[in-house]
Amino acid sequence: MKISFAKPHLPTDGAVIVGVLDNKVFTPTASALDDLAGGGLKRAMDASKFTGKKDQTLTVLAPAGTKVNRVVLVGLGKADEVDALAAQAFGGNALAQVLTSGDASVFIAVDAVPGLKIAEADFAANVAFGARLRSYRFDKYFTKEKKEDKPSVKKLTVLCAAPAAKTAFAPLDAIADGVFLTRDVVSEPANVIYPESLAAECQKLAALGVEVETLGEKQMKKLGMGSLLGVGQGSDRESQLVVMRWTGAKDKSAAPIAFIGKGVCFDTGGISIKPAAGMEDMKWDMGGAGAVIGAMKALAGRKAPANVIGVVGLVENMPSGNAQRPGDVVTSMSGQTIEVINTDAEGRLVLADALWYTKETYKPKAMVDLATLTGAIIISLGGEYAGLFANDDKLADHLTEAGKAVGEPLWRLPMGDAYDKQLKSDIADMKNVGGREGGSITAAQFLKRFVGDVAWAHLDIAGTAWSKKDTATCAKGATAFGVRLLDQLVADHYQD
Amino acid sequence: MVAAKAGSRVLTAHQPVLVEVAKGDPRPRGAVLAALLPGCPGPVVVDLELSADDAAQLAYGLVLRDYRPLGKYRRPADDDPLPMPDRVMVLTDDPVAAQALFDRLLPVAAGVHLARDLVAEPGNHLGPAELAAQARALESLGVGVELLDPAGHGLTLLAAVGQGSTRPPVLAVLRWQGGAAAEKPLVLVGKGLTFDSGGLSLKPAEHMEEMKGDMGGAAAVLGAMRAIAGRKAKANVVGVLAIAENMPGGGALRPGDVIRSYQGLTVEVVDTDAEGRLVLADALAWACDHLRPAVLVDAATLTGAVVRVLGRHHAGLYANRDTLAARLLKLGRAQAEPLWRLPLSARCDDDFRSDVADWKNCGWGPVPDNDDAARFLQHFVDPKVPWAHLDIAGTSEADEHQLYGPKGATGFGVRLFDALAGG
Repeated sequence: MKISFAKPHLPTDGAVIVGVLDNKVFTPTASALDDLAGGGLKRAMDASKFTGKKDQTLTVLAPAGTKVNRVVLVGLGKADEVDALAAQAFGGNALAQVLTSGDASVFIAVDAVPGLKIAEADFAANVAFGARLRSYRFDKYFTKEKKEDKPSVKKLTVLCAAPAAKTAFAPLDAIADGVFLTRDVVSEPANVIYPESLAAECQKLAALGVEVETLGEKQMKKLGMGSLLGVGQGSDRESQLVVMRWTGAKDKSAAPIAFIGKGVCFDTGGISIKPAAGMEDMKWDMGGAGAVIGAMKALAGRKAPANVIGVVGLVENMPSGNAQRPGDVVTSMSGQTIEVINTDAEGRLVLADALWYTKETYKPKAMVDLATLTGAIIISLGGEYAGLFANDDKLADHLTEAGKAVGEPLWRLPMGDAYDKQLKSDIADMKNVGGREGGSITAAQFLKRFVGDVAWAHLDIAGTAWSKKDTATCAKGATAFGVRLLDQLVADHYQD
Repeated sequence: MVAAKAGSRVLTAHQPVLVEVAKGDPRPRGAVLAALLPGCPGPVVVDLELSADDAAQLAYGLVLRDYRPLGKYRRPADDDPLPMPDRVMVLTDDPVAAQALFDRLLPVAAGVHLARDLVAEPGNHLGPAELAAQARALESLGVGVELLDPAGHGLTLLAAVGQGSTRPPVLAVLRWQGGAAAEKPLVLVGKGLTFDSGGLSLKPAEHMEEMKGDMGGAAAVLGAMRAIAGRKAKANVVGVLAIAENMPGGGALRPGDVIRSYQGLTVEVVDTDAEGRLVLADALAWACDHLRPAVLVDAATLTGAVVRVLGRHHAGLYANRDTLAARLLKLGRAQAEPLWRLPLSARCDDDFRSDVADWKNCGWGPVPDNDDAARFLQHFVDPKVPWAHLDIAGTSEADEHQLYGPKGATGFGVRLFDALAGG
C-alpha cells in the first residue's frame, strides 16, 4: 500500500474516509461531501447508531451526487481528546473498513478542526501511521485465498492542508517499518525463523547502517555463557547471540543505551515439557528479541541521533537425548552458578548471559530487556499492560511515560529481598525458579542478579506480544509491542 | 588417659550441654555431638569415660553426621552451618584399640559420604561416563573394575533404556577379592540412572530435578565397595552398577517396543518410565550367569509407590529366602538403615502379562507397583540364588535432618551392605 499526501479536494473515485466528531458533528470535508450527496450522508447517519464516538464507523455505498464508491464516516470522538494515539486509531479504523472492500484507491480527509490536541500536520501524519500499522497482514502462507478476501487497497492518499504532514510522517513510516519487521519475525513459524535465520534477519539491518555481529556457540562457550548455551543444547539448531549497534549520536564514543531481547525461537519447555494444547503459541517466545530487532530498524530508519545497542539471545528449547536436565547446575558468564530446576524457565537463563555480556562489553548508560518471560504476568496484568520491573525509579518513570505516549502501556510491579530469597538453592548460587508465588517477580529478581549496578528495567511482555483480537492499529496476531515504546524512550531521553 | 592440652575445650560427662549426649549408645551420641559442635572453637576434647570400642563408635557417629552437602557449585552463604572444630579428641583408657577400630570404621563413613555426594551431583556433571569413572577410581584401593558395553554383552534391556540419550549406557563391575579364592562372592547390584526424565513416557516437570538422584542404588553399591575395600574386608564382594541416562532423544525407546532380554525373556515396554526394572533385570541375570553369587542383593530407587506404602523411614525389602530377609532386617536395624519386608507375590504376574511378549514392564493393576516391580525382577534371577531387592526410593534422600546426616542424600544402603559383607 502506497501512502501519499495531497491538498484537500473532493475525490471523484475510490473510497473516501471522513471524520465525524462526537454528537454527529461533521468535519468540513464530511459536510462538503454531504452537500454533494444532497444530505444523504446525514440521513444515513441518522438511520444508524453512528454518533461520531471514537472507534465508530459507518460505510455509505455510492452516495448519489458523488462519483466515489463509498464514503466511510469514522468517529473521532471529542475534538479536545484527539491526540496522536486517537489520530492513529482514526487512521487504523478507517483502513480496516476499506482494506478488502474492493477499492484500490482510498482517500482519508484530515481536517483541521478547532480544539484538537495535536497540530494539523501531526494529525495527518499519525492518521497515515495508524492506517499503515493496520494494513499489516501476515498472509504469505495462504495459497488459496480468494481474491475478494485479499486486500484491495493499493493507494492511500491523505488529504491535508498542512504541507509539513509528509515530513512529520517520515519518522513514523520508519517506525512502522520496524513494527512490521517485528510482526513478521514473530509471526513466522519456528521451522522458518530459528536462531540462525533470525540472526540473518538481524544481519539485513546492516543496509541501514547498523553494525551487526553474531556470536555462535563456539564463541559463547569461550566467553563462558553456560547459562544461555544450556538452554539450546537440546536442539539441533545452533544458538546465536546477535549484537546490533547504531551509533547515531554526534559523540560516537558516548555510552549507549542497550536493549536486550529474549529470543527463544521455539519453546517446547525442554525436558520440563509443556502440554500440547497451545504449544504452537511458543513460536512467538522470541517476541522480546523481535521487538528489539524492530526497534533497531526503526531507530536506524529514522536516523535517530543516539547510540543504541540491541542484543538478542537466540535459542531453541527442545527435548532430546542431549537436552538440559532438571537439576543440572550451569555456570553463567558472570561466574554465578544456577541450578536449573525447570527447563521451561529458560528465558531468564538466556537473558542472564545476554545482560551480563552487554553490561561488560558495552558499559551502557541503561539496559532495558524485553521478554515473553512468564505466564504469571498474564494472570497479573492480562493483555493490556506489560509488566515493568526496574532497579532505577527514573528509568521506570521514563518507560512508563513513553509507553503511555505510544499506546504500549506498562505497569510497574515490586521487587525486593524477600522475593530474591525464593531463589535460594541448596547446591548452586541460585535456582532458576522461585516457586508459584510471585512468579513474574522472582523471574525479575533472577535477572537483577546479572545487571550489576547498571540502571536496568525488565519488561515482561508475555501478555502483550500477541493479540487474540483486532485493535485499531493492529490486526490480531503479533503486536510488535515494545518497538514504539523503545523508540519513544530514545526520542525522549537518549538523543542528542 | 590422654591428657588434654592447655587451651583445649574440654567436654565432659558433667557439662549441661552434653546431657543428651551423655546417655545411650556411643554411635548416636557421636552423631548428636556432631550436630552440637559446629562453631565450637577447637580443639575439642571429649571426656565421657568411654571404653575403647565406645570411643571409636562415638567418633564414627560423629564423622557420619559431620557431612556438608555438596558445596562445590555455589558460593558460601550467610546461613551456612558454622565450621566444625579443626580437631576433636576422644579420651579413652585404651587409645590404641580405639584407633584400630576407628580405622576400620572411617572408610565406611567415607563410603557413605561418597554415596551422598554422588546422589547430589547434577545430571550434567554426573552422566554415565562420569559415574563409571567414579567406579574406576576405586582401582586405587585394589578394586578390580571392568566397564562393559551393554550392547556388546547382550545386555539389551540396559542398552535400550540408554538409547534415547547421547551419553551411552555402561555396566560397571567392581570386584573386591578379600576372602578365600574359592569363596562365592556377595554380589551387590545397583540401579544407576544418572538422570531419569522418564524417556518418551516423560515425567511431569514438577520435582523432576530430583531424578538426578535416580542412581541412588548404584551410589550405595559404589559407596559400599569404597567402604569394603577401604577397610580391606576379608570377604569377596562384587558390585555391579547398571548405568544409563533415560532421555527422550530421537533414538529413544518407544512405548510398545519389545526387547529380548539378556536372560531370554521378552519384554514389552509399555512405559519407558518403568526403566529401572529393565536395567536391573539384565544386570541381575548377568550377575547370576557370571558371578556365582553366594548372595545377590540389589538396591534401587525403583518405584514411587514404595514411598506411598512405607514413607521415608523404611526401605522396601523383598527376598526369595526368609533367612536372607531376616538377616537383612537385623542388619538394617543395627545400622540405622531400617527395612520393612513386603511380599513377592506370583499374583503380580497377572498384572504384567503381555499380548505380544512374555512380560510387560508395568502392570497398572490393583497391586502396588513396588510389588509388581519386585516380582518382575524375580523372573530374571536364578531361583537357586538367594536374592533380595531393596526399593530405596523413599530413603535415598531425606527432606529433613537425620541422626547421621543433614537433609538431602543419605547414602542409604552403604552401612547395611558393608555390614552384610562382614570380614
